[in-house]
Amino acid sequence: MSGRARVRARGMARSPGALAGECTQASPSVPRMLMPSDLSDSEASFSGGMEGTSRISQNCDKSVSSGDVGSTFVEKVVKVRRDYVDLGVCTRAKLAHVRDSKTGSSGIPVKLATNLFNLDLPQDWQLYQYHVTYIPDLASRRLRIALLYNHSRLSDHAKAFDGTILFLSQKLEEKVTELSTETQRGETVKMTVTLTRELPSSSPMCIQVFNIIFKKILKKLSMYQIGRNFYKPSEPVEIPQHKLSLWPGFAVSVSHFERKLLFVADVSYKVLRNETVLEFMTDLCYKIGTSCFIQTCEQQLIGLIVLTRYNNKTYRIDDIDWSVKPTCTFQRRDGSEITYVDYYKQQYNITLSDLNQPVLVSLLKSRRNDNTEPKIVHLMPELCFLTGLAGQVTSDFQLMKAVAEEIRLSPLGRQQRLARLVDDIQRNKDARFELETWGLHFGSQMSLTGRVVPSEKILMQDHVCQPMSAADWSKDIRTCKILSVQSLNKWLIVCSNRAENVIDGFLSCLRRVGSSMGFNVGYPKIIKVQENVAAFLRAIQQHVDLDVQLVMCILPSNQNYYDCIKKYLSSDCPVPSQCVLSRTLNKQGMMMSIATKIALQMSCKLGGELWAVEIPLKSLMVAGIDVCKDKFSKQMVVVGFVASLNPRITRWFSRCILQRTTTDIADCLKVFMTGALKEWYKHNHDFPARIIVYRDGVGDGQLKAVIEYEVPQLLSSVAESGSKISSRLSVIVVRKKCLPRFFTEMDRTVQNAPLGTVVDSEATRPEWQVPLENQYDFYLISQAAYRGTVRPTHYNVIYDDNGLKPDHMQRLTFKLCHLYYNWQGLISIPAPCQYAHKLTYLVAQSIHKEPNLELASYLYYL
Amino acid sequence: MQCDSVVDDNFEEVCPEKVIKFKPPLYKQRYQFVRDLVGRHEPKKVADLGCGDTELLRLLKIYPCIQLLVGVDIDEEKLQSNGHHLSPFLGEFVKPRDLDLTVTLYHGSVVERDSRLLGFDLITCIELIEHLDSDHLARFPEVVFGYLSPAMIVISTPNSEFNPLFPIVTLRDADHKFEWNRMEFQTWALQVANRYNYSVEFTGVGKPPAGAEHVGFCTQIGVFWRNSGGAPGPCVSQQHDQHVYKAVYTVSYPSLQQERVLKFELVSEVLLQVERLRLWHLRTLREQKRGAGTVPKEPSVAPSLMLDLFTEAEKARIENSPKPFCEGSRFFVPLQRLLAYPRLHRLPVDEERMRSLLADSVCLSSDGSAVKVDLRNTWDWEPDDY
Repeated sequence: MSGRARVRARGMARSPGALAGECTQASPSVPRMLMPSDLSDSEASFSGGMEGTSRISQNCDKSVSSGDVGSTFVEKVVKVRRDYVDLGVCTRAKLAHVRDSKTGSSGIPVKLATNLFNLDLPQDWQLYQYHVTYIPDLASRRLRIALLYNHSRLSDHAKAFDGTILFLSQKLEEKVTELSTETQRGETVKMTVTLTRELPSSSPMCIQVFNIIFKKILKKLSMYQIGRNFYKPSEPVEIPQHKLSLWPGFAVSVSHFERKLLFVADVSYKVLRNETVLEFMTDLCYKIGTSCFIQTCEQQLIGLIVLTRYNNKTYRIDDIDWSVKPTCTFQRRDGSEITYVDYYKQQYNITLSDLNQPVLVSLLKSRRNDNTEPKIVHLMPELCFLTGLAGQVTSDFQLMKAVAEEIRLSPLGRQQRLARLVDDIQRNKDARFELETWGLHFGSQMSLTGRVVPSEKILMQDHVCQPMSAADWSKDIRTCKILSVQSLNKWLIVCSNRAENVIDGFLSCLRRVGSSMGFNVGYPKIIKVQENVAAFLRAIQQHVDLDVQLVMCILPSNQNYYDCIKKYLSSDCPVPSQCVLSRTLNKQGMMMSIATKIALQMSCKLGGELWAVEIPLKSLMVAGIDVCKDKFSKQMVVVGFVASLNPRITRWFSRCILQRTTTDIADCLKVFMTGALKEWYKHNHDFPARIIVYRDGVGDGQLKAVIEYEVPQLLSSVAESGSKISSRLSVIVVRKKCLPRFFTEMDRTVQNAPLGTVVDSEATRPEWQVPLENQYDFYLISQAAYRGTVRPTHYNVIYDDNGLKPDHMQRLTFKLCHLYYNWQGLISIPAPCQYAHKLTYLVAQSIHKEPNLELASYLYYL
Repeated sequence: MQCDSVVDDNFEEVCPEKVIKFKPPLYKQRYQFVRDLVGRHEPKKVADLGCGDTELLRLLKIYPCIQLLVGVDIDEEKLQSNGHHLSPFLGEFVKPRDLDLTVTLYHGSVVERDSRLLGFDLITCIELIEHLDSDHLARFPEVVFGYLSPAMIVISTPNSEFNPLFPIVTLRDADHKFEWNRMEFQTWALQVANRYNYSVEFTGVGKPPAGAEHVGFCTQIGVFWRNSGGAPGPCVSQQHDQHVYKAVYTVSYPSLQQERVLKFELVSEVLLQVERLRLWHLRTLREQKRGAGTVPKEPSVAPSLMLDLFTEAEKARIENSPKPFCEGSRFFVPLQRLLAYPRLHRLPVDEERMRSLLADSVCLSSDGSAVKVDLRNTWDWEPDDY
């Protein structure tokens, strides 16, 4: 079995074991051929286009040193990097109603500071792309680069060169330039430099070159690139209590915004764990003992990114091979055998102290060709550091709190960091020189005008509430009745014997808060069982029949209970279920708020409607789509679709599918949309006049696929629905992770922009360049950040038949952010997206198969 | 062996049309020679004259003994574009070195005197002298041996007797001003050694093929030692600061000699050790409660993961230190005990220093002699197996 297959097999095999709640020993390692992987005998072995080890290229210069622009630039030229693809995707030309104005009008104008900086170019600036050939042909890329760079003819030019393709900011006199040079050995080499393209500053290729230039500049400021961001390990924030270092840094990018080229920078932190994987394993062994050590260890480590001490690379742990020891040999590329111990001693002067440690296995996928078998690399746990926070660590409340304290930056703190970065760039001689030779001028921080849209009223059963703060209206509606819910008459509580004592108090509390919100909670049948997963499941199987409306489980602890119960009750035997940790019910002082929260969730799960907002559009269906990778099998992706079922937008139809693909592009939207329309028809005896779909979870470079592949699926299901007047469709791509930030400046300090702030100019995508038109887009701030800095959500309207004015689209979107029933306040994205997210998360984490369709019209996943 | 870094001086021996191929490549053998020397003699200050693309410096920076590493070259562009290769690896911020290390690249000529290169333990001139014209070659000994006068000098140069084995019988590199046979090199070297009171040993790398042993090594090497009796060159203090070289790149590595780094390392290690002892203690209590009355069984799967591998001396040191103890719900680990564990023992701190460094990050007992933690945490994992 190949390494990858085995990892996959083991990943899948693990899930049933974990679900049954057993601690089984991992299957003994199957001996296997180890591909000759001379770990890094020559740096070239990995730079040859292996992904999976992301290069950290402060030291591995290939992407920057003396203008050399990235080892796979050749491919990139043909296939522009993923995130730049989106730049070329255009939709605005088709949107007739926004040709005149793509901005809204309602609300109060507000002046906003941003984290965007002007980048000025001379008016007629162009980038010149050349192709370079050598006679005689030279194989060594380094030599090719060295010869070109040392040629006097090009010495004054700003250039980026990867060995074949050369970019210059100034045009050479001739279209074809012949250059002659000598190697050290006295051989004459002829270089032919041929102009292939002239690119305006707006072309995606130019944007890519600008980004390379800034990469180079940040490296001049002693920053290290990890992933896409840049960090300064020399100024760490340290949390020794949790063995963590936080490296401050920036996520940066250069793009074309509405009218000009802008540089965006946002503060970012890299979390480094100051422990080797070996120390982590040892600690784990201390903590949990040996009985299920291997299994737990693999669960916690596989998938994490490690940093090796002896070079600047990061690797993903794909597997752990317990049968290989440091004293085993591997084959170097020259064919000789060497033990790991000797290898590290010879190569890096490192003495391995633990000769019994297993090896970590990382699979390096070839970037060039997807068909090649991944290369297997063995890493020593002793020499690998854990990066990032994942798995078990994130559930360590103390630790997460400590991290949050350190990295949470106020708007002012954030602005100060930015100011320092700009200062550093402008003071650094090399950085300045780099900008100047390319003709770039680093300008001032941009400010712009946004609008704060009017706040929304919350409609309750017999009360209209204007909340004090849209961030949280739980207090405002405490005494109000929810819109509708059926009574809960027949239901079960399954709990362990130990939890018995808390139940009475909790039940009376639940009934009390229930009745005050208009939710009648009858007495349940209480089933006491032994404290193990099997006993819980058995009790549920025995007692759940067709009449049971809801099952509540009081769980002793542990994820296993939750996963098994949810799996059974969402899929095998579809009944709404409510899990509560017995620990939660022990918090005496908070019983009222806990009971309220649970009562609200329970009423949703029974199909209840909690509140509404005014929706001026009649016959409007809104839908949300999100995707999530399965926890166990990375090849599976869960696609969730949630659509409203009534004009008031209080009832929802939810569907979800597991799809075997590595891309995040949904393949099943036609089925979903058709199902949702049928369900809508059942409820309303008509089809919706308008449909607005919010699509979340679109990765970099997938925009085109969404437009070309997903929108047609939705359109065809609408067309085939059988309605007389075809429903009109709009599709909006939602992005939570956008770089721009907006602040209000007050009394010489900066604050978060207020809730409901809309930005639809300047920081939005450009509209120049017909016919290469872009989307109409806007930012909306719909979440409150009490201590940190708020992140706006970006909405990109990629398809729009509805012809809604941008202003209406913005306000509708804002309204939808009020409708998430799991939180009595505004959230950062429209409710259907958050529902879809919640659904896919439950399926990806716990259920791992399609939930039963009988539950589709309940919010059973809250 | 495939090798991408074949430019400049390293180009010759691996050029495909040449008949003889060395394995490992000859340039790697030269670097290995220097590395072995560094490993054996543990110099603190090392300079590489004619460092070119800084390949050798990159290999040397991993040696814990080296605290100052300097490269000099006349090609400023090369230094500039290769400087960042010498910056610390990310991992070296996570796990810092024991001793400081500063790496500096100077742009300058080896026949100029710069006082910043005085007092070195080792200066290497790998494939350098054959690039010097006769005038510079004449001034070279006076500067390197007479003025800089390091404890040890390594000079390597091509052995022209080997050249007939290559198809092209001219010089190995266009920039070479000469290539010496063994006699020529040794005569020059002995003269220089005598004049400046050094002794010299000759060796080389790149063994000739079978049947051609008489030509000697492809690269000949002279290792020079300053004689102990001789004056160590002009006294450093008498020198005026003479800064003719231009510093192109300089970087300092994080190390345990820096208080901030030491403190972080110490606190992390202390907390790690205390946590292990605490968990061990809890396990022991559990086992006792279960009635076994014995210490937990050695784990079967990953024995070494369970216990640090201690040597006899380390074990004895730990045994002889005060033991961790419990008072009520508190668990105490004496600082002396902590210092006995190898990972803390290696840190350059005594109990007093440790106390002051820990003071504001760790809770200590009232007399300050032990670290105090709660015996039980709310998030402790209790196995379900009872």
